[in-house]
Amino acid sequence: MWKKITYLICINLLLWSCGKDDEGGYESITNQQEENKELDFKIPSNFPDLTYDLTANPPTEKGFELGKKLFYDGKLSSDGVVSCGFCHIQDFSFTHHTHIVSHGVNGAIGTRNAQPLQNMAFMKEFTWDGAAEHLDEQPIIPITAEVEMNESFSNIITKLKGDEQYVQLFKEAFENDEVNTDNMLKAISQFLVMMVSAESKYDKVERNEGAVFTEEELAGKAIFDQKCASCHAGTLFTDQSYRNNGLPLDLEYNDIGRERVTGFAEDHRKFKVPSLRNIEITYPYMHDGRFATLKEVLDFYDEGVEVSETLDPLLQQENQVGIPLTEEEKEQLITYFKTLTDTNFLLDERFAEF
Amino acid sequence: MKKIIVVLVIAISITSCFKDEDDENNNLSLQFKNEFAGESIDLETGTYVNSSDEILNISTLNYIISNIVLIDASGEEYIYPVEESYFLVRENDEASQKIVLNNLPFDTIKSIRFGVGVDQSNYPLNGVNNFVPTAEENNMLWSWSAGYIFFKMEGVFNSENSQDEPFLYHIGSHGETLDNYKEVTLSYENARAVSTVNIKFDVAKIFAGENEMSLEEKADIQVDPVYAPKVISNVQQAFSVTTE
Repeated sequence: MWKKITYLICINLLLWSCGKDDEGGYESITNQQEENKELDFKIPSNFPDLTYDLTANPPTEKGFELGKKLFYDGKLSSDGVVSCGFCHIQDFSFTHHTHIVSHGVNGAIGTRNAQPLQNMAFMKEFTWDGAAEHLDEQPIIPITAEVEMNESFSNIITKLKGDEQYVQLFKEAFENDEVNTDNMLKAISQFLVMMVSAESKYDKVERNEGAVFTEEELAGKAIFDQKCASCHAGTLFTDQSYRNNGLPLDLEYNDIGRERVTGFAEDHRKFKVPSLRNIEITYPYMHDGRFATLKEVLDFYDEGVEVSETLDPLLQQENQVGIPLTEEEKEQLITYFKTLTDTNFLLDERFAEF
Repeated sequence: MKKIIVVLVIAISITSCFKDEDDENNNLSLQFKNEFAGESIDLETGTYVNSSDEILNISTLNYIISNIVLIDASGEEYIYPVEESYFLVRENDEASQKIVLNNLPFDTIKSIRFGVGVDQSNYPLNGVNNFVPTAEENNMLWSWSAGYIFFKMEGVFNSENSQDEPFLYHIGSHGETLDNYKEVTLSYENARAVSTVNIKFDVAKIFAGENEMSLEEKADIQVDPVYAPKVISNVQQAFSVTTE
């Protein structure tokens, strides 16, 4: 009899201990996986402070892997082809090679030129008109836009849930194991924030790492600092403000710029000052890709700036419209711009599709 | 004696493997009801006269409710888990007009506080992105901007100078330049033990509120720094709690 009672008590203790465990006592096999290591995010010494809160969404190995997979996956579009990587190609600092404006699903043509993806952890707002306040939110725009990826998050989540690889990756990347919008956007951000471009010749000079500007580059830098750096300011080469730089209105797109986001008439045809890093290879230029070469850009600033109500005051000082530049100055500037190319970034395997 | 031990042992073994049931299992329903000055809303067919003597047909009426907080008689606040507190109330979907909140720590309510729209100051670090699919399916997400439409009302109006003119109020925040998120606090005179809080939303007050709105004056209000704040301010005042 005592044997039976002891036996029963032992069973109960066993059963009781499984009730104590908050997770119901079952340690599934998938939980016994390698630890998901946090990635080391290094802020280059010549860079400003981060704007992205890394503590809210710390980049991890698995999160990064998942984000990258999503970035290059056509599943995020309605035709199964247009992924983020379709328009954002690493070789060109994640811009769309030679495409003036991006085109999306069903051959739809957009109205704007794909911007480079670099140093976004240091940026305040995203897209040419600042329509996305936070990096995590930005993908909502291209994914839901009819002329871009033309898809819905409901559909995407359904597709992802039906793919074992994704289900597994979401489990490994996020404590709550869920395949949902929040985790999807966080994963993409974890991939994107790691894209830091800070190894150009310019950086190496600025950080005293042994690189030296040539005479021509120095001449270009001097002109730049004097005539361009008030808008294309600092190490990021942008003050992140919105300005009308005098581009004549293109009636085909009739793009009112930032006014669409704020509703203020004073923001009419203002666009975000872009970073000039990697500018050598992110052609074509301007929000609608209207200039194919840097020479055309400089010719525009020299002679093509159009006066309008919201033209930036910096481009109409003392009755002078635009930025006068001699042909020699233009050449020197272009030479200087080339020092902003970061080949390490363009070839960084971590971000590569293949 | 043996039997008692066996029974006890079996009882323990059965109960120990179950998760503890919440001692307090209070659920609360928030029942929203849209009206126009006391009349119920009939989409498409109903006609309503606003304070500017304009006759309206309403085809769409949606709003986002979030950040729900319940306050008991002593002033203690219970913040409903933020990630689960995003709801879309639609006039064309009766089920969406009843919001069920689970596992509240008390059942005696003095006040309730909620937001209309999405609070971007917490954004996006509070799981709000899981609300994206619901919002996009119901066209409460702008596609050219990563932002929500907090309040949407559409229809047609007739007035002295207008015949069958469409009207459209799409109110959200404008990036970081304009925050149209509003919080609403509704209180009972005395704290009540309730299982349902009846909340009335009076569309008439959108026109006759603090700001007098006229569709003749402006029938299309979307990203509008002048008019959008007026509309949403009136919306904020149009909610009330009724004791039925």
